[in-house]
Amino acid sequence: MMIRTLKAAGLAVLLLGWTSIAFAQTDCKTLVPASPWGPNDQTGATNRVTPAVTKAAAAEIQEGKVVPMSYPLTDGVPLFGTRFSKTILTATTLAPGAALGENQLTYLEDTWLSQSHVGTHLDGLGHIGRKDCYFNQTPMGKYINQNNMTRLGLENLKSFATRGVLIDAVKVYQQAGKLKSNPNCKKPCLDKGTVLSKADLEAGLKLYNVTLREGDIVIIHTGWGDLFEQFPAKNAEYNSGEPGLGKEAATWLVSQKIVAVGNDTWGLEVIPGENPKEAFIVHNILITDNGIHILENVRTDLMAAEANSTGRATFFFSMTVPRAVGLTGNFVGIDGIR
Amino acid sequence: MTAGATRPAQIRGRRPLAAFAVWALLAAAFLVAAAFPAVSQPRRYTVAFANITEEPGLTVEGTGFTGADVRQSFVLAARGQPIDLVLYDNQKDAAKALANVADAIRRKVDLYIQYFPDPALNKDAAEMLRRAGIPALAVNYPVTGAPLYGMDNSAAGRVAGEALARFASRAWAGQPMVAIVLGNLADQANGLPERVQGVREPLTRLLPAARIIALDTRGNPAQVSLLLGKAAASSPNTRLLIAALDDTTALSAKSALEAIGRTADAAIVGLGCDRSVHGGASEKKEIDPNNRGSILIGSVAFYLDRYGYDVLPLALRILRGESVPGRTPTRHILITTANVWREYPPYDMQ
Repeated sequence: MMIRTLKAAGLAVLLLGWTSIAFAQTDCKTLVPASPWGPNDQTGATNRVTPAVTKAAAAEIQEGKVVPMSYPLTDGVPLFGTRFSKTILTATTLAPGAALGENQLTYLEDTWLSQSHVGTHLDGLGHIGRKDCYFNQTPMGKYINQNNMTRLGLENLKSFATRGVLIDAVKVYQQAGKLKSNPNCKKPCLDKGTVLSKADLEAGLKLYNVTLREGDIVIIHTGWGDLFEQFPAKNAEYNSGEPGLGKEAATWLVSQKIVAVGNDTWGLEVIPGENPKEAFIVHNILITDNGIHILENVRTDLMAAEANSTGRATFFFSMTVPRAVGLTGNFVGIDGIR
Repeated sequence: MTAGATRPAQIRGRRPLAAFAVWALLAAAFLVAAAFPAVSQPRRYTVAFANITEEPGLTVEGTGFTGADVRQSFVLAARGQPIDLVLYDNQKDAAKALANVADAIRRKVDLYIQYFPDPALNKDAAEMLRRAGIPALAVNYPVTGAPLYGMDNSAAGRVAGEALARFASRAWAGQPMVAIVLGNLADQANGLPERVQGVREPLTRLLPAARIIALDTRGNPAQVSLLLGKAAASSPNTRLLIAALDDTTALSAKSALEAIGRTADAAIVGLGCDRSVHGGASEKKEIDPNNRGSILIGSVAFYLDRYGYDVLPLALRILRGESVPGRTPTRHILITTANVWREYPPYDMQ
């Protein structure tokens, strides 16, 4: 009798467990589209960086000029809430008598205690979801442990060696006579809450006669990064909102089959958002629904100046992402090579 | 030869038909362009919003919201809409409010949104706008002939009273309890009498055994400690259900109860749900998903910081010749730790 009861209970538990998994999968199929690269895809839009795409992008290197596109990650840069990034230097061998061997070798090392979404950084595919559903209908609740994700980690990404395209939104707004700069910016900038539309992006591309092609990475100059550069003095203003992509523009970028989009703000999209009851909806559109990466706190002013002086807004996008297993994102170094 | 002679004749015969087809196409294109100008260039409207006041720090409608919150909601909501806003500050002054109407008429705005509490002034403003052929929309206070958008203090009060009564029925059924209506009861404006009446109704209906008392702070939160201290002392071994008419009063009540050690006996519901009670991911406040044990069980939303998102779509409907209800009330709901981030998603994280 006892055994029969236990069997029945076991069966019930099994059924319940199976049902809940089935529900989770059903939910995710309702909430998130399937990846165009198949049910096992954990790579997303970097699938678009094919050898042909990289080879074509290499044609952008004409002078060998390298334009930095990331900000220094150091104490005092704008961070959010409980986020932190701190280094501790190990320098024990500099103590008297602590050098090693006859050659008196000394060494320095760092312990980096940092959250990954700080400074100029990449949002990975596991960063943003709807409920517990992430890119490619992944029920993330099944794929996390105390330390990391076991799906959609950065180790699954392919190369970002492709063409970068700069869109100078400041110039678009200046030329349209609608730029209302934030008084805290030393250089012209779009103010927080400015919604970048599809028409704005198209106007920015037209400024430099560029047509987007599959596999591009789009970098938008809003001027808001000027406040980042003034750290820590303007951190509060920088964090208080930002100009950025609206939903229409994000959807249009998706249709252009890009790999990633970034700008010189902390969250890429317009804040406050277009609908006050939606939270970071552009993140959902790009990452969750389409596997397109987001780059935040990108330094854009130097490339904007370069484009302005040369009349060319395209470049070879140079960025490597650590194969950090199970990470949702990481700080990165970016160079634009011309 | 015969065939040759016939061919031109056929061509000649087709010419009028072809010409007719071309003209018909051109006419059709013209008609389509005339009928759907929005396809190429959406019509933009100039909409004036005359705010009740924009004096820094001055709160409105017996809530913690300021006029600046209301104005900002219009500015944000206008993004993405075919609307060019003209913003006025009525400065709670009738002469200024009339001057604003006159200026808007001079500017030939397409629609005027009036937020001003004086019925006589609003009647005059309505007449001026009517003569100028400018439609009007009223916020919180009626303007003759104009659709009204605004808070429903009775409904908001009922939400608060019901929340308290249901909490008490669930947690403290059968125990002695006293319901306390706490706030600026002396204020006969700002819809506060209706708010109080709204609170009382469900408390009476759902907790017939509970005594209801009213404590008047006269708008001074510093009075809360004294008033509540006395009331609590005179009601030992009794559960305290507190309906605070605004969030500042609600937070003061919580502090007062902590000071006298009665938090285990009390539940508070506030009204307003301004940013003093809800915050963001890095701006922790009382109503927060990570603070589920608070005796402030919620606050009824008044959404003055969202007015623009509700009012401008009404304005567009009027301008497009569509009908709108004579009165559109704010949707007052209880904001708790369970729904605060759904209603007010924090954006201080990325």
